[in-house]
Amino acid sequence: MSALSVNHLLGIKYLTSDDIDLIFETADQFKEVINRPIKKVPSLRDITVANLFFENSTRTKLSFELAEKRLSADIINFSAAQSSVKKGETLIDTVNNILSMKVDMVVMRHPNPGACVFLSKHISATIINAGDGAHEHPTQALLDSYSIKEKLGTVNGKKVVIVGDILHSRVALSNIYALQKQGAEVMVCGPKTLLPKYISSLGVQVETNLLKALNWCDVANMLRVQNERMEVNYFPSTREYAQQYGVSREILNKLDKEIVIMHPGPINRGVEITSDVADSQHSIILNQVENGVAVRMAVIYLLASKIKH
Amino acid sequence: MNILIKSATIIDHNSKFNGETVDILIENKRINKIAKSIENTQNYPVVALENLHVSTGWFDSSVSFGEPGYEERETLANGLKTAALSGFTAVAVNANTNPVIDSKADINYLKQQAKNQPVTLLPVGALTKESKGTDLAEMFDMHNAGAVAFYDYQKPIANPNLFKIALQYADTFGGLVCDFSQESKIAGSGMMHEHIASTHLGLKGIPALAESLQIARNLHILEYTGGKLHIPTISSAESVALIRAAKQKGMDVTCSVAIHNLLLTDDLLKDFNTNYKLLPPLRTQTDLDALIEGLNDGTIDMVCTDHNPIDIEHKNVEFDHAMFGSIGLESAFGALNRIYSTEQTVKLLTAGKLRFGFNHNTINEGESADLSFFNPDKSYTFTEKKILSTSKNTCFLNETLIGEAYGIYANGYLLIKQS
Repeated sequence: MSALSVNHLLGIKYLTSDDIDLIFETADQFKEVINRPIKKVPSLRDITVANLFFENSTRTKLSFELAEKRLSADIINFSAAQSSVKKGETLIDTVNNILSMKVDMVVMRHPNPGACVFLSKHISATIINAGDGAHEHPTQALLDSYSIKEKLGTVNGKKVVIVGDILHSRVALSNIYALQKQGAEVMVCGPKTLLPKYISSLGVQVETNLLKALNWCDVANMLRVQNERMEVNYFPSTREYAQQYGVSREILNKLDKEIVIMHPGPINRGVEITSDVADSQHSIILNQVENGVAVRMAVIYLLASKIKH
Repeated sequence: MNILIKSATIIDHNSKFNGETVDILIENKRINKIAKSIENTQNYPVVALENLHVSTGWFDSSVSFGEPGYEERETLANGLKTAALSGFTAVAVNANTNPVIDSKADINYLKQQAKNQPVTLLPVGALTKESKGTDLAEMFDMHNAGAVAFYDYQKPIANPNLFKIALQYADTFGGLVCDFSQESKIAGSGMMHEHIASTHLGLKGIPALAESLQIARNLHILEYTGGKLHIPTISSAESVALIRAAKQKGMDVTCSVAIHNLLLTDDLLKDFNTNYKLLPPLRTQTDLDALIEGLNDGTIDMVCTDHNPIDIEHKNVEFDHAMFGSIGLESAFGALNRIYSTEQTVKLLTAGKLRFGFNHNTINEGESADLSFFNPDKSYTFTEKKILSTSKNTCFLNETLIGEAYGIYANGYLLIKQS
C-alpha cells in the first residue's frame, strides 16, 4: 500500500490499520531525515499549509510547524485571538477567506468536538485535525503508538493503560482507537468522576485503582488533568488527586516489572507524575516529542501526495 | 366556504361511516350530508384527490414559530399555512418569541395575527415573566385572553418552590401548567444523549437522569399541590415509568412525546449532523421501545411535532454552537404512518385536543367540519425541495416517509396543497 485510504486526517476512527502502518513506515524515513545534519527535504515545495489554531497550543503547533518546514512547505499561521472570529465571523467564512489565498492544506485545532468533520463538508482543502474539543487528537495518538512501537518493538498484544482525566480528553479517545486498531489491549484508569459513564462500550477495561492498573500494564500513558474544561471540581484537591493517581518512584517500586511511562505533555510535575519518574529511564516523554515531528511529517506528506493540482 | 368532497375514505372511529368511501357535503361550516354519492347541484368547489382519506382535524400541542422577533426562522402566516398543508387544523404555539409571550397583550397579538386563518392558533403563555424562571407571569389574565397552557419553552423551572406556587396559583382558575423536563445542573452544557454515541464523539452528554429527575420532582410537587400538569416532550424510558406510576395514583398529569423521539436514535449523530441536535435529545432504542409502549398503554397522552424552525445561520455551524431543534409539521404524518397503522396514526394526531381547550368533533352529519385530508399510501423521500417551512432544519431529511397530507378544511376555509 502506498496511499492512505482517506483524504483528510479527521480522527483515528476513520483510519484503517493499514493506514497506520503506512504512516509509521513513512515516519521511519522522516525520522532518519531529521537526524541528518541537513534536516530538510524538498518534498512539499508546491504545497501551502495553513495552521489554524482556534485554541491555545504550544507543542502541537510547534511540532506541526517544524514538520511542515522540514518538508519545505509554505506556511501561514493563524490563531483565533488575532482573527475576525472574535468579531463574529463564522468558521466556514474564516477558513474560506484563508483558502482563497490558494492554500492546499489546513491543520486545525478547535475547541468544539467535530469541528474538523464539519469543516471537511464545506471546504475543498485537505484537513488535518490537530485536536477538536474532547473528540480526537489523531497525530498525538499516532506518535504515542509510534513511540511504543519504537520502545517495545510492537504495539500488538501490549497492554496500555491511560490514566487520568479521560472525560475531557481527546488524547484518550484517539489513543483508544489507535491502540485497538494495532491489536493492543487498553485500560483506562482514573477517579470515577473523570471516566465517561459508557467508556467500557469502547471495548476498554475500566479500573479506578492505580496500583492495580500499573500492575496490569506494559505502558502507562499519563494524561494531564484539564482544569480548563471543567465546569465543577471533579475531585476535592490536586493534592488528593496526586495521592491516588500520581505516578511516583514509590508506586513503581511496588511493581514486579518495569513499565514504560508516557505523557502527551504539558506535564504537571508532582500531580500526575513526579519529577524522578518523568526524568527516569522508564519515561519516553521526550522521545514522544521527537517522534511527533516525524509522524506529523509522514501524515502531511501522505495527505499532500493525494492532492491533485 | 361550502364544498363537496368526493370519494373520501373516512378514518374516524367515532364516525358511523368509519372505513367507508363516501362523498361529504359541507355547507355553512357543517357536515350536512354523507352518502355514497352526492350530486353537486349547487356547483360547490369539489375536493377530489387521489386515494383521498379524511379524518377529524389533527392537533399539535408543541409548535414554535418565530414571530414576533425571529421572523427569519418562521412567520406566523407561513407557519400556519405550513401547518394547514401538513394536515393540522389546530396548533398550540409556544411562547419562545422575542419578546416572550407573557402578557394578555401578547396573547391578543397572536390571536389577532391568526384571525381569519384555516388553522386555529392556540396560544401558550409563558409560565414566568420573560421565561426567566424567577417571577410568575400574569397567568390569570392570559388565561382569560385565551392562553391554553403556561410553559417556558425548553427552559426548566429550576426553583422547586416557584414551580409549587405556579401549580397552586394556576389551579385556582384551572390553568394547565407545563415544565420542561431537564434538571439543568445534571444536563450541564450537554449536547446530545449521554451514551455510547456521545462517548465516541467526545460530545458532552445529557443523561436521561436529567429528565427523570425533573419529572420525579415535579410529580412530587403536583401530588402536594394538586392542579393540572402537562409534561411536554418526554424522551426516556424512566420518564414513562414515573408518569405511569403517577397516573395510577390518579394525579392530573398528561404528557407528550415528539414524533422524532419515537423514530430516531442517537447513533444518527455520528457525523456531527446538527439536524439531529434536538432537545430532548435523541436517545436509544430502549427508550424508543418504552415510549411506544407508553403510547400504547395510554401513559403518553399525545404525540407532538415539537416543530422548531431554526435558520441556517444557527444550524450550519460547529455542533456545540448549533441551536437545538427540528421542524416537524410536514413530516409528522408520513413519519408516524411509517410505524403505525393509518387508523392509529390518525388517533395519535387527533389526541390531546381537550387538554388544550380545543373541542373534538367527529365526522357525522350535523357536526361542525374540522377535517384533515391525506393520502396514507404515498411513499416518497422527504427532500429539502419539498419543505414549505421558512427554515429547512429537519431531522427527517432524505428519510422515506409513507403518507402525505393534502391539507385541511377548517374554520370555513379550504386549503389544499397544489400539486
